[in-house]
Amino acid sequence: MALRHRIGRKGVLLAAGVVLAVGSLVTYSYRAPARLQAGGGSFLRDGTAGFVVTDIAYALGPDTQDTPACPQGMSLDVSQIFAASPDGQQRPGEDDEAYTKRKEAGGKALSATADGRDYCTNPALAPVDTHARLLLDPRARAEGIDLDGKISRSPADARSGKLDFVGIDGTKGVDNQFWRAVGCNRSYQSRGQSNGFKIEMYSGSWGILIKLDGVDDLRNDDSIKVGLYANADPLQVSPTRNALEYATYAMDADKRFRAETTGRIRDGLLTTDPVDVRFHHVVNGMYLERPLRDARMQATLSPHGVLKGFLAGYSPVEAIYNYQFGFRDAKDAAGKPTLQRAVASANGAARVLGHTCPGMWQSLHRMADGHRDAKSGAFTSISTQYRIEARPAFVVDVLTHSKNDKLVRND
Amino acid sequence: MTSLSRRTMLRGAIGSAAVGVALPLLDCFLDTNGVALAATGQRIPVRFGTWVWGCGFIPEKWIPTTVGHGYALPADLAPLEPYRDKLALFSGFDVKLDGVANKPHITGCLGLRTGIPVPNEDVKAPTLDVLIAQKIGGETRFRSLDVSTCGLKKSYSYHAAGSPNPSETSPSALYRRIFGAGFQDPSALAFEPDTRIMARRSVLSAVTDDRQRLMRTVSASDRARLDEYFTSIRQIEQQLDLQLQPPAPVKDFTRPAAPDEEGQGSEMGQVMETHRIMADLLAKALQVNQTRVFNVLFSDTASNLRREGETTTHHTLTHEEPADAVLGYQKEHSYFATQSMVAWKEFLDSLASIPEGDGTLLDNCLVMAHSDCSIAKAHAVEGIPTMIAGNSGGGVRTGYHLDGKGDSIARLGLTVQQAMGVQVEKWGQLSMETNRTITELIA
Amino acid sequence: MTSPDPTLPAALRRWSRLRRARFPVLAGGALVLLLALAGAQFMEPSEPEPVGGPPMMRRLTEAQYRAIIADIFGPQVPVTGRFEKAVRVGGMIAIGTGSAGISPFAIEQYDASAQGIAAAVMSPSRRNRYLTCGPSDVRRFDQPCATQFLNQNGRLLFRRALTPAETNKYVGLARRATGQLGNFHRGLELSLYTMLIAPDFLFRIEHAKPGLDGRPGELDAYSRASRIAFFLTGSTPDDALLRAAEQGELDRPGGVERQAERLMATPRYEQAVRSFFADMMQFDRFGDLSKDPAIYPAFNSDLAEDAQEQTLRTVVEHLVTKRGDYRDLFTTRDTFLTRSLGVVYRTPVPQRGEWVPATFAPSAHRAGIQSQVAFLSLHSHPGRTSPTLRGYAVRQIFLCQDVPDPPATVNFTAIEASAHRPNVTARDRIFQHATDASCAGCHKVMDPLGLTLENYDGLGTFRQRENGALIDTSGSLDGTDFDTTDGLANALHDHPETPRCVAERMYKAAVGRDITWNERYYLDWLIGRFAADDYRIPDLMRRIVTSAEFFATTRPVMPGTLVRADARTIAGDRL
Repeated sequence: MALRHRIGRKGVLLAAGVVLAVGSLVTYSYRAPARLQAGGGSFLRDGTAGFVVTDIAYALGPDTQDTPACPQGMSLDVSQIFAASPDGQQRPGEDDEAYTKRKEAGGKALSATADGRDYCTNPALAPVDTHARLLLDPRARAEGIDLDGKISRSPADARSGKLDFVGIDGTKGVDNQFWRAVGCNRSYQSRGQSNGFKIEMYSGSWGILIKLDGVDDLRNDDSIKVGLYANADPLQVSPTRNALEYATYAMDADKRFRAETTGRIRDGLLTTDPVDVRFHHVVNGMYLERPLRDARMQATLSPHGVLKGFLAGYSPVEAIYNYQFGFRDAKDAAGKPTLQRAVASANGAARVLGHTCPGMWQSLHRMADGHRDAKSGAFTSISTQYRIEARPAFVVDVLTHSKNDKLVRND
Repeated sequence: MTSLSRRTMLRGAIGSAAVGVALPLLDCFLDTNGVALAATGQRIPVRFGTWVWGCGFIPEKWIPTTVGHGYALPADLAPLEPYRDKLALFSGFDVKLDGVANKPHITGCLGLRTGIPVPNEDVKAPTLDVLIAQKIGGETRFRSLDVSTCGLKKSYSYHAAGSPNPSETSPSALYRRIFGAGFQDPSALAFEPDTRIMARRSVLSAVTDDRQRLMRTVSASDRARLDEYFTSIRQIEQQLDLQLQPPAPVKDFTRPAAPDEEGQGSEMGQVMETHRIMADLLAKALQVNQTRVFNVLFSDTASNLRREGETTTHHTLTHEEPADAVLGYQKEHSYFATQSMVAWKEFLDSLASIPEGDGTLLDNCLVMAHSDCSIAKAHAVEGIPTMIAGNSGGGVRTGYHLDGKGDSIARLGLTVQQAMGVQVEKWGQLSMETNRTITELIA
Repeated sequence: MTSPDPTLPAALRRWSRLRRARFPVLAGGALVLLLALAGAQFMEPSEPEPVGGPPMMRRLTEAQYRAIIADIFGPQVPVTGRFEKAVRVGGMIAIGTGSAGISPFAIEQYDASAQGIAAAVMSPSRRNRYLTCGPSDVRRFDQPCATQFLNQNGRLLFRRALTPAETNKYVGLARRATGQLGNFHRGLELSLYTMLIAPDFLFRIEHAKPGLDGRPGELDAYSRASRIAFFLTGSTPDDALLRAAEQGELDRPGGVERQAERLMATPRYEQAVRSFFADMMQFDRFGDLSKDPAIYPAFNSDLAEDAQEQTLRTVVEHLVTKRGDYRDLFTTRDTFLTRSLGVVYRTPVPQRGEWVPATFAPSAHRAGIQSQVAFLSLHSHPGRTSPTLRGYAVRQIFLCQDVPDPPATVNFTAIEASAHRPNVTARDRIFQHATDASCAGCHKVMDPLGLTLENYDGLGTFRQRENGALIDTSGSLDGTDFDTTDGLANALHDHPETPRCVAERMYKAAVGRDITWNERYYLDWLIGRFAADDYRIPDLMRRIVTSAEFFATTRPVMPGTLVRADARTIAGDRL
């Protein structure tokens, strides 16, 4: 622009063309900030459609508490287990408050080895939890999709506990062993505390992005590319805390949190091919990872760009134990292990949600139905189904930063 | 100028300023040092306090369905009906995390009080009660009085990271601290006028010296505008004159009886009783100017309250209890949420029971009540329930419900400080920073 | 001078007459004629003989107050007052400053602010920046030091050198306060506080030299320096400009030009352009704007801020950085975006928390600042659009045309009731405007403009349907018909009132009053030169500053009306 000053006022008209020409040359050579080309219109542009997950929950089944589905009742927490023991009975003359205290202490004593090693952190050291209940009723129903293409409903399947569900919508061969593992737990009932985990998503701690490429027809397209990514940006919400549509989000910079696969749309139903995915999960300020192997999506796509359906696959047993129950690999915001908080949270959660850590660890292993270990022959993963909803968003691949970067790294 | 007795001061005030109060004294106006004026023409100090309860609320039982005046009081606020006009309700104001780890029951509370979301107890700035105490707390015996009624010696009042003000948990200890040794009968107190105010008063009169010179140089219409300016300046002078007078003598003060209550424990009935006694003691302390700032922790943010015979605390219940199938919310949690509002009402009763000027002590207070989260089971820091009670001597407006629609909750902290005369135009940092005063609150 | 200047080109005089007769098409023709004339002769018509207006007493605006404090004491010194709503006269707060008073509330704020500023300046950590002297014992009063400090800052604050009497007064105050408080710095602080609350600071009081032989007078050098500085930098004269005033440079040929050139090269100039357009587009009204979150979920206070910033960045880039044609502001597709804005425009914005320069594709239907979120959302209702509000705003803001308030008896219920009914568009809702005689007269000039803007919802997102029905976007502006927002953009671009309006506003804002009757020839000349300068705003501003009219004065004869601080000239509730 120095050029313009030299030319002076009178020459500006004359020089305008020259400036323009020089300007464009200069742009090519060293002026970096190219202008963003901004568009507008529908959520599908040039064959690409992006989405941000706005709702996610475990896909489970109808409530089982006080039904024949759980004939032995619900799983117990340590304090209830103690209370069920001869030692745990209320003594004559013992007032309620003292008894409650004694039950808590008794439960606590059941939560670690004699030499004090915590069972939530070391579930393999614990004896079998005989008070852990599984949802083994063959009549029980579940939400979800068929993951393995097989309908396993034989008596042998029933005996092994690896029995497919009949879906609530009539789908045959629904693989949802996670529901069998937690189905007789009080906190996984519809009004329980464990069946939703999206609140941290709405406060911006984690999120999930979906990107479709090569879409020619929103109703029918046999070949599309599908990306499933962890969201590196906080969800943008309205004053009434609803997710906004058409916001821009960056996919996670870490390749471990990016997955790409193929898929197709038939009559508006999107199905995708299996791919290993991995998302973030944050609870109580603990940073965890939520992997899902051979994950696939089956979701309807509305004309306004709302994706609604299932995301399902196989959770490695040790991993789902970690992010849902034991928190053994929890990190703080700076990436350092937070074992103390993990032990407290895992034991506290088990106590208030109605299970024991070892009980859950054992149930998950017992119900595991995927990725058989070649050597031991044991299944290492458990079929897990999520109900999801996603809405139009722009998915970009850039490095992104929080305004609070410095505080985020604080500890 | 050093210490002056009240007698010299009165003589001085009459002699020097001749208190040229030609304009009628307004019933209550507030200047920047937060001094209210009673109808008697004597000043009454304004006070600031916070009142904290833990574990948030049941939204459907707390948030009115409409905003503005004339809203229907939801179930949990029903006990507060007598104070409807003296209360402002704030919903929908957020602690903005933007990536900061949410330490349950801490990040929300300290974010609200410091304007900065922190992932732990290491605050990055003083809490707003400390900032306000720096402004209005200087003239009294205690810069602030901090009490906790749930047996825990905690507070959420911080000068800096690592130095929370300890709370008094025992009513009898609180009594000894205020009314024990060192307590002076208020009518015997000497009054020391602020020499800075005296100096400011004297330089201000120099401004009006220019009146004639300026009037000569401008047009007739501009003369009217200058006249308005000089009239406005006179009002400032009158407010300063007022501050140079001793505060209103305390009427109807009787020294309370010493309680024998030690205030240990977290059982609901006991906490309510402890709270009632401590609220009365605090109100008396405010009445006789022992402090102008206070912080009450009714229940800890991870609420340790419990019912008699139960060991499961309020906090545990918020995570453990399933939602009631018929009601749609957690019934036991709701009990504690409701009781917390009953306690808050009783706190206002204590302030309102003390006559002051034309009204009560409550009229000359600004009490900010807040929790640490909105929905406790998820530790959500968006929409933390907050209330302002009292009119700060006419300085703030109440009687309505305001929805922040997701604005930074630092707007409240900013406005409250401004209402108390703290010179701050921008408050909070990073994702929470704001310069937007809640104009609805400022009278 | 009372009759038109006979040397003025006949076409120009005819054009100005025509303009007032509101024959835009003809006026446009006259404009072409004028340009042809100017081009053919390579001759600049000279400025008409100055006629002048009254010297003004103008209250500082909040933006000016903040800028002044930052300029004199640095940006770290806090300004903590809460300023009351400003008075807008003739569409501009800048013009309102010539009639705004100072209420008791305002004084309380100025008082608090003055205390804070003085305390910050004299705080131990800062005062060495402003004070190079002082007594060895701070309890003592150091007269030479106080004199130097107070003279220096008094000159900057009052925009003129202190008189000896004033110096004595402020030094005397400092001495007395030093005695009272036992501290030299506290004494200076109180004296500085007094200046900060003095009328000479809070008002810009202009002084003029009377003219001889009935000719107009002229502002004195300091008053001229202030006019120049506030117009070109939105702030107080800097030291160099005050020196130019003191040393007579502003009286010498080329003196004003040199100062204008210098100031326009500073970053403050951009700030002044921003302030002008924020004022003209009434962005202060965003403070009162609310939207129904159920209908416009993307609206919040951050978005409102970004929307204003987007338009101001667009304006500054186009007018200042690129030195573009003012009229192209209504057709340009170049702008800046953030992620929040991307949600409303439905376009990806990769960077988080940053401003990104952007160009809208033609298919995005975003031509001109009137198609941006700030304009569109500000002139809509909380839960729906309003073709009338938008049409009114285009007329009032961009064309300087006023439309009377609606009759008091008007009944809005029919419109409210059908706001979200299926298959009902705004055109159906406001049909009554055209059929009711008491409405039709005014609405026919507002609604047709706004109906084309129905392509944007109440927040500004592009749409083709409302309540399911296809929107009929046909509209017109003073004889030009269009049915797209681009068509409206072109019509605004080509409207002869568009450049005239901004030139007129600029001049009025610069002098802080409406034009006088005799100034209309000057204004005609100014608009002619604006056209000849290819409608470049910096050239227009330079020309205003360097014209003789800018400093010419009549005797003060303003009618005695005091404008209340809460007066609003904008009708709030139109449909």
